[in-house]
Amino acid sequence: MTTNFSRRSVLKLGGGLLAASALLPQHAFAQAKAINYWHTFTSQSEQAGLDAVLALFKAAHPDIAVTPENIPNPEFMAKVTAAVVSGSRPSVTMVASERFKDLLAMGALIDMTDRVAKWERRKDFDDKRFESISADGKVYGVPSFAFVDWMYYRKDWFDEAGIAVPTTLAEMRDAAVKLTNPSKGRYGYGLRGGPGGQNIIINIMEAFGSPVLHADGKIGLDREKAIQAIDFYAGLLTKDHAVPPSAANDGYRQIVEGFQTGQTAMIYHHTGSYQDIASKLKPGVEFGTMAIPAGPATRVARLAYAYNTITKQEDADTAWQWIKFWGEPDAAVAFLEKTGYFPASTVAAQDKRIVGNPMYKAAADTLGFGIPQPSFPGAAGWAESSVLPNFQRVLIGQATPEQAVDEMITALAEATN
Amino acid sequence: MSRVLYTAANPPARSAWEAINPMRMIGELSETRYWMYLLLLPSALLITAVVLYPTLYGIQLSFREMRLNRPALGTDWVLFKHYARMLADPIFWTALRNTAVWVTSSIALEFTVGLIAALALNRNLPGTKVLAVLILVPYFLPNVVAGHMWALMLDPRLGVINDLLVKTGLLTGYKAWFADPSTAMAAAIIVEAWHSFPFFTLLIMAGLKGIPTDLYKAADIDGAGPFAQLRLITLPMLKTIIAAAVILRVIGLVNSPDLLLILTNGGPGRATQVLSLYAFQTAYKDFNFGYAGALSVVMFILLMGFAWAYIRLSKVNQD
Amino acid sequence: MATLSIKGVRKSFGSVEVLKNIDIELEDGGFLVLLGPSGCGKSTLLSIIAGLEPGSGGDIVIGERNVNNVHPKDRNIAMVFQSYALYPTMAVRRNIGFGLEMRKVEAKERDAAVQRAAELLQIEHLLDRKPGQLSGGQRQRVAMGRAIVRDPDLFLFDEPLSNLDAKLRVEMRTEIKRLHDRLGTSVVYVTHDQIEAMTLGTKVAVMKGGVIQQLADPQTIYEKPANMFVAGFIGSPTMNFLAGTLEQMDGALALRHGGATLALPGLEQDAQAFIGKQVVAGIRPETFYPGQGQGTLSGTVDVVEPTGPDTMVILNVGGQLLTARLGSRGRPKLGDTMTLGVDTAAINLFDPESGNRI
Repeated sequence: MTTNFSRRSVLKLGGGLLAASALLPQHAFAQAKAINYWHTFTSQSEQAGLDAVLALFKAAHPDIAVTPENIPNPEFMAKVTAAVVSGSRPSVTMVASERFKDLLAMGALIDMTDRVAKWERRKDFDDKRFESISADGKVYGVPSFAFVDWMYYRKDWFDEAGIAVPTTLAEMRDAAVKLTNPSKGRYGYGLRGGPGGQNIIINIMEAFGSPVLHADGKIGLDREKAIQAIDFYAGLLTKDHAVPPSAANDGYRQIVEGFQTGQTAMIYHHTGSYQDIASKLKPGVEFGTMAIPAGPATRVARLAYAYNTITKQEDADTAWQWIKFWGEPDAAVAFLEKTGYFPASTVAAQDKRIVGNPMYKAAADTLGFGIPQPSFPGAAGWAESSVLPNFQRVLIGQATPEQAVDEMITALAEATN
Repeated sequence: MSRVLYTAANPPARSAWEAINPMRMIGELSETRYWMYLLLLPSALLITAVVLYPTLYGIQLSFREMRLNRPALGTDWVLFKHYARMLADPIFWTALRNTAVWVTSSIALEFTVGLIAALALNRNLPGTKVLAVLILVPYFLPNVVAGHMWALMLDPRLGVINDLLVKTGLLTGYKAWFADPSTAMAAAIIVEAWHSFPFFTLLIMAGLKGIPTDLYKAADIDGAGPFAQLRLITLPMLKTIIAAAVILRVIGLVNSPDLLLILTNGGPGRATQVLSLYAFQTAYKDFNFGYAGALSVVMFILLMGFAWAYIRLSKVNQD
Repeated sequence: MATLSIKGVRKSFGSVEVLKNIDIELEDGGFLVLLGPSGCGKSTLLSIIAGLEPGSGGDIVIGERNVNNVHPKDRNIAMVFQSYALYPTMAVRRNIGFGLEMRKVEAKERDAAVQRAAELLQIEHLLDRKPGQLSGGQRQRVAMGRAIVRDPDLFLFDEPLSNLDAKLRVEMRTEIKRLHDRLGTSVVYVTHDQIEAMTLGTKVAVMKGGVIQQLADPQTIYEKPANMFVAGFIGSPTMNFLAGTLEQMDGALALRHGGATLALPGLEQDAQAFIGKQVVAGIRPETFYPGQGQGTLSGTVDVVEPTGPDTMVILNVGGQLLTARLGSRGRPKLGDTMTLGVDTAAINLFDPESGNRI
């Protein structure tokens, strides 16, 4: 016997199904909960760290499917801008603190104040952790892990030469000069003059007494002190010759390889590269870790956070599950063990797996005196398209520190006028 | 049943269906001169949507304030503000000069290597078929892949090229090609030429197939040597193809910043800063879409001017 | 002007031998035609003479000079190609003068030579055009202009007329003959067209399979073909081949074919050795005439093809079809029995086994 549906009966049935589905408990449709996650993890260790967190999340939330999508760091802002303008936003986006103001200004981020306030693990985090992701009293993200700036040094070379671990930039320079031996292909310091080097240059300027963003919110450089800073830092190459000649084009990969292969004695980075370095050199024997040395004016060791933000209103509830999972101590420690990135949660940072490891002492110390990165709209663009190229011009002898700083000041005014 | 005789003067009456039959209406329309425009309509709409609209949008952008990270500034018309700024912007002039060097040197090198490769492959010696495929491999690689590959090969620490040059005694120590302003542009040009010369090889080989071998026999008898044959027969006969290839490459080189973005990011200093990269950085690092739009409009005008002048000078339109 | 000697020239491509031991002597001012079907090796031989292809053996001597290892440009030859091979990007003037230009002849002298050649070929008005703007016949003239302007020792023509329509071909053929008579330069001319060979050549080499079948003046080739291939290749309509037994009859030879017998008085060949054996008689269609003659054949009319001046009658003689070229008067009817006389002096006898002329 065949059933003869009239149009009316089909409509009735369909309507009934819809009504029924609204009444069904949520988990009946669990498989449909899927979000995507835009991140900028690139190295193998970072990828392994992400995989570890994903695996733990999958076990805890079998009903949520997270699709990670890697966005290369140089293209990150272009991709996010395009996604926001075209309305094809990701559910969750990883945001570095220096990009926060730009993304907020273009309306990419969604207010998370209420969710964060009601979060059971909110008390695990120091209030300061949210400063770089808050504006006008509203919170737009949750810190997932920390970028704790520190330095790696060749312990064996320092021991051999009988040099103490430097605590100031002046001592660092002396050590670099002493350890430089071109006949052995050794240089004292691996200077990052290529992609990504801009933030270190800004840090050095601030250490010499010329912050970009002042305590009162004013933006501007102190010309004289900035010139001293550039003269000192570029001078490591141009005057002291304590830096590999390739510095102007050296990015992350180059400085890490230079250190791993025994070309340089010190490099400036954060804890995220620890596992990469430890895979080639023996911790505590061949290399050690030290806090960023202090400058003449102040010690500038950045304590920045990677934040996870909700960037798509429709997926907000599911996205929140993924974002707060990064605050679980187990997830944070698993990520640290694969990468070296420090947990953002104070509770997780007290974990004995961290406290008990002397190699992490410099980072643990930095948690005490570290300061956040300056963030204002246009900061990242100015750093990349003016600070870095002008510093390079000094490195390659096409400009004096005075000329470079003057151009930086002009560009800063243009970027923020 | 009576038989009815239909004539032109006495046509059969149209049924109600006939009056609204869409097929009949289309059929009648196809006889009119509007049919032609109707057929052109879909492609005209498509071109308007994907070419004309974005182009016009980009042009109007260059006359507005548009800074994504400074919404407070609004998006008002600013007339020629961006163009005026450009005239006084030393980075623009550096980028313009670098673009000229980058494009002309790359194309000169690509064309020369591409021509030599095409002439060699055209000799039909054993193995040339396999070589013809192999030689195209660089062109199949995306710019990003080629860029990273060469960045590694030219690396000042691990690069195989430095290793070879030192081992053969041409260099005394490893050289940081992209950290030295006097070699950064040249190294980038060589990478670009390596990547794109097969484009010329491919087109020139196709052109060579169209040149009758009798011409070379006649030239042999007439006493023209290999160089004279190349200059007086081969190249003139490839003129149209070469002109088209050069224009395509110029457009590609002027517009795409990807290779330089990977190799040097415009550095060291501004030694390899070109217009496309500057426009890209202005848009996506500084979020100043108005100024980036103005830079793009200038690139667009320069390219149009170039293509027009080049076609006129190379007399492609003659005979 | 010079003589040309081709001595034992061979050419193989891999294991395929396309020219086998070619020997030709051409007198100064002679006109040698290389004639044969496609694939016979005639164009390859021309390329070897020009130096565009190396031979696998043998010598090419132009004048007194062995040119085996001489580059084409130094052989002092000029060539006209089937495709004309005009340089498309150059005007006619430069095309014609190109050889002189490459030889660094001064512009003034060059222009004068081009002008002379153009006048000779009546193409002065075309000098500033590009080849693409010329008709086939005009291009042909330009190609010849390019050849004669240098006053070479030897002209080489590679099927120069085969891309032209029938009327132009006849015109240009006459033009080439006139030029040759006027300039007196030796010529080697490749063609597959027997009319061109007959009208132009002072010497014709009929080739097949890389071998010269016969090398002689056109008259000899036509009247006394060396073998059945040459006999069949030359002449239109082609020669009739009538197979039969050679017999002695009334003191003269006769060919017995089926029931019929063709008396062969006045035969020029010495065929005594073939009496009682199978032979093939080659009879040109124009040697037939209506009525009785020295030799006579009868048959039924199978087809009649009037061509205007002549009427071709195809006659069934004892089961074999023979073509006769008769005058235009008196058209026979189909099915009629017809008797034809034969000019037996013009008959050639061939050995059916070797195909060679007895």
